[in-house]
Amino acid sequence: MPSTKDPEATRKLLATLWERSLPVLRERCALLQSAAAAAQTGTLTQDLRAEATAIAHKLSGSLGMFGYPEGTEFARRIEEHLESATPIDATRLTHDVAALLATLPL
Amino acid sequence: MPIRRILIIDDEDDIREVAALSLESVAGWQVSTASSGAEGMRIATAELPDAILMDVMMPAMDGPTTFREMQKLPELASIPVILLTAKVQGVDQRRFAGLGVTAVLFKPFDPLTLAEQMSEALGWS
Repeated sequence: MPSTKDPEATRKLLATLWERSLPVLRERCALLQSAAAAAQTGTLTQDLRAEATAIAHKLSGSLGMFGYPEGTEFARRIEEHLESATPIDATRLTHDVAALLATLPL
Repeated sequence: MPIRRILIIDDEDDIREVAALSLESVAGWQVSTASSGAEGMRIATAELPDAILMDVMMPAMDGPTTFREMQKLPELASIPVILLTAKVQGVDQRRFAGLGVTAVLFKPFDPLTLAEQMSEALGWS
């Protein structure tokens, strides 16, 4: 399979795509923070939980391709936690969301 | 070596863009994109790509459903399909592999090696 461009050029284009995706990414992180805050006060609705689960899934699939594999791991933890049948552990969720945010240069 | 034509079907803008960038700039392939299973069916029928890279979880018509619909159409049934999923649990992997797709690749992918992974799965190496 021939390579038509050097990896550095591809990385620069990836960096451009990352910058372009930041507004959506910030919105998604804010939603996860809202879900964690709601869990802390016992007001996490099924709708918000489902939305946060979907967001965590999207983040788990995308952050690593931009060079943030730790972000993917925390997003995956959050997704598995939110989609489990057990009650939400609000402290754990809040910790994992904060840890996810800490991996990203937002 | 012939230039490969790939159709990427994914509802996530950033995944589509990065995958397209990867396949175009690293491998020199020609890439079309679709943001839903229905749109993917239309483009696949019109363009008859050499292979399809398709997300599993999409609203309305997900990847497995789209794949099954493609299998019903003689013009699309022979096009190799690679599913792309962020689900890493074994039960999910076995379920997707059991559909009859050519391969299942996992998100997040490495943009610098995605084309290589696809080539190996498709026997293009």
